[in-house]
Amino acid sequence: MDANTMAQIVDILERYVFNVANIQGTLRLATPVVLAGLCALITSRAGILNIAGEGLILFGAWFGVLGSYLYSNAMIGVAFAMVSGFIIAGLFALFSLKFRANIIIMGIAINIFAQAATIFLTRVVAKTAGVFADPRIVGLPPIELPFIKDIPVLGPILSGYTAIVYLSWALVILTTIFLYRTPWGIHLRAVGENPRAAETLGINVSRIRFGAVMASGVFASLAGVYLSLGHLTMFVQQMSAGRGYIGMAVNNFGGGQPIPVFFASMLFGFIYTIGWRLQGERIMPVYFIDMLPYVATLVALTLFSLRRRRALQKARAGNSNEED
Amino acid sequence: MSNTAGALSRTLGKFLRRSVGIVLSILAGVFVGSLIMIWYKQNPVEIYGQLLKGAYGSQRSLFIGLQRATPLIFTALASTLAFRTGVFNVGVEGQFFIGAIAGTYVGYAFQMPAIIHLPLTLLTGFVAGAAWAFVPTLMRQKLGVSEIVTTIMTNYIATFLISYLTNYPMRADPTTPDTPPIMPTARLPQFIEMTRESANPLGKGTQAHLGILVAVAVVAVMYFIFKRTKIGFEWRMVGISFPFSEFAGMNLDRTFISGMLVSGGLAGLGGSVEIMGVWREYKNLFATGFGFKGNLAALLGGQSILGSTVAALFYGSMEAGALGLEWSAGIPRQLIDIVVGLIIFFMAAEGMWDFVKRIKWARAPEEERRTTQELEA
Repeated sequence: MDANTMAQIVDILERYVFNVANIQGTLRLATPVVLAGLCALITSRAGILNIAGEGLILFGAWFGVLGSYLYSNAMIGVAFAMVSGFIIAGLFALFSLKFRANIIIMGIAINIFAQAATIFLTRVVAKTAGVFADPRIVGLPPIELPFIKDIPVLGPILSGYTAIVYLSWALVILTTIFLYRTPWGIHLRAVGENPRAAETLGINVSRIRFGAVMASGVFASLAGVYLSLGHLTMFVQQMSAGRGYIGMAVNNFGGGQPIPVFFASMLFGFIYTIGWRLQGERIMPVYFIDMLPYVATLVALTLFSLRRRRALQKARAGNSNEED
Repeated sequence: MSNTAGALSRTLGKFLRRSVGIVLSILAGVFVGSLIMIWYKQNPVEIYGQLLKGAYGSQRSLFIGLQRATPLIFTALASTLAFRTGVFNVGVEGQFFIGAIAGTYVGYAFQMPAIIHLPLTLLTGFVAGAAWAFVPTLMRQKLGVSEIVTTIMTNYIATFLISYLTNYPMRADPTTPDTPPIMPTARLPQFIEMTRESANPLGKGTQAHLGILVAVAVVAVMYFIFKRTKIGFEWRMVGISFPFSEFAGMNLDRTFISGMLVSGGLAGLGGSVEIMGVWREYKNLFATGFGFKGNLAALLGGQSILGSTVAALFYGSMEAGALGLEWSAGIPRQLIDIVVGLIIFFMAAEGMWDFVKRIKWARAPEEERRTTQELEA
């Protein structure tokens, strides 16, 4: 390899991978994926296939903008979003757990409903089609962490994000503690692994599942309000752009454990960041760049299940050897 | 004889109980919809009246409803087939548009007599839709990856792929990203084109077209396949009971894969029909939501072939009414999607209508006895 190619490779690596702006971008753009992943995680660990994340994100994004628009205060927007997530997820839980609606059908219906409802609400409140933007809408301000921001290199990587980014990191840790260190978390996992056994032990299965769905609603609405008030300061129709489903995929990759889910989300944060950078470079039509996260999800799901299948086969082969 | 009568009355009873649930769901959906209208400072009675008038009030509105229902019949059938086989194909949206773009290409790129061109364009739509469903199908059957996530991903990929195609290789117009128009030999005639010269032209001011006949034919074929053929039986059985089907020795791989591919194919066919009848060229993302509305229509129609066809026709008419409402009263047409969504929530919530059964049982002790007998048997 001659010096010229080496220099080119180093240049590409510096531009796309090892530079502070990219790492910051990765952490930022991973945040909604982390939260969507937690939304899928908390319900899947309770044994519920919750595909309504996408719709809940969309509602969270819209109600966040509404709160900020009404009170010109981003934190009120966040509160609005969380309350909306709580209420809509509550209705979702009521219908699918109490009234025995098929939870997948409910999820599909909520996701389609959310698209129509947010467009409708935008037209009613903002009198515009598809975009809810207004000078009164205040976005989330970046927060500089004291002391940490002065550390060289690490400072800019760890500091200067909006509150929801830090909150998502905290929620990853809190969810881990909750799942593995609290009685409620142990009950939740028991319900997910064997609901009958859990019921025999006197655990109230439906109450735990209700709680899990409500919590997933809060996670999803935080992901949504991050998109509308942290990333942009407006609501755009269908701005969730499949993140609810990517969250389900990320939950798979992470094996339903919060910290692996966090790192799996980083991969997607990185892909989104690369997409932003490539758009500026004009090396290929922008449509292929826009496709990246979705193609990546398919590729990652394929590789992940191939690996899991191989591991299973190996485990089975190992077992039969022992039996011999 | 008495046995037949008993079976008949039981089926009738089941049908009635199901209908009561549907009617109550519709009422509940309409009621919540009226609350939204009141919040919007509108009189719900007036709005619903205008909606119905806009949907069924004139020949023109009937034809607009027909035009909007045509693609929905295909996507609703596609969703129904998948749902019934136990596959949640939410990729109908993408399969529809891939079928549309593929049909457009065959429509403008080749010159041949209509007798070949028409079926070829239709077939291309079907094959393209099925091909687009292939990757998620394979991932589900061979790798065990949930089709819900993968089919949604293929929707997004389809959107961007089509944007690329209409912006670069298939672009005809330098100012807008549209493809060339398809040949007249690949067009499905619109009613107005056929009857313009006659004394009372049909479907004036609409683009309703003969694609509705294709849709009706497809409904008939699908109904026949579902009820009278081996593969149709297998599709239904797999959806009802997976272990039973496996025990009965069905080839589950073949059943699932064929079900999913035909579902994608029907969606793609719908896409090509929409291009051949209404648009005659691919305007970049001429409209979205056909697939998702098809999902909704399938749910609204209780996931049966005829039910979802009726639901698609109803949805189409309601959309025609909602368009009129948007024009005249400035009410966003998404209102109708909201009401339909609400109705589906209430329909899906079977447990919500339990009290109806209880009332009926209290009044008909005979029936109650029979149910307990059934339980004991």
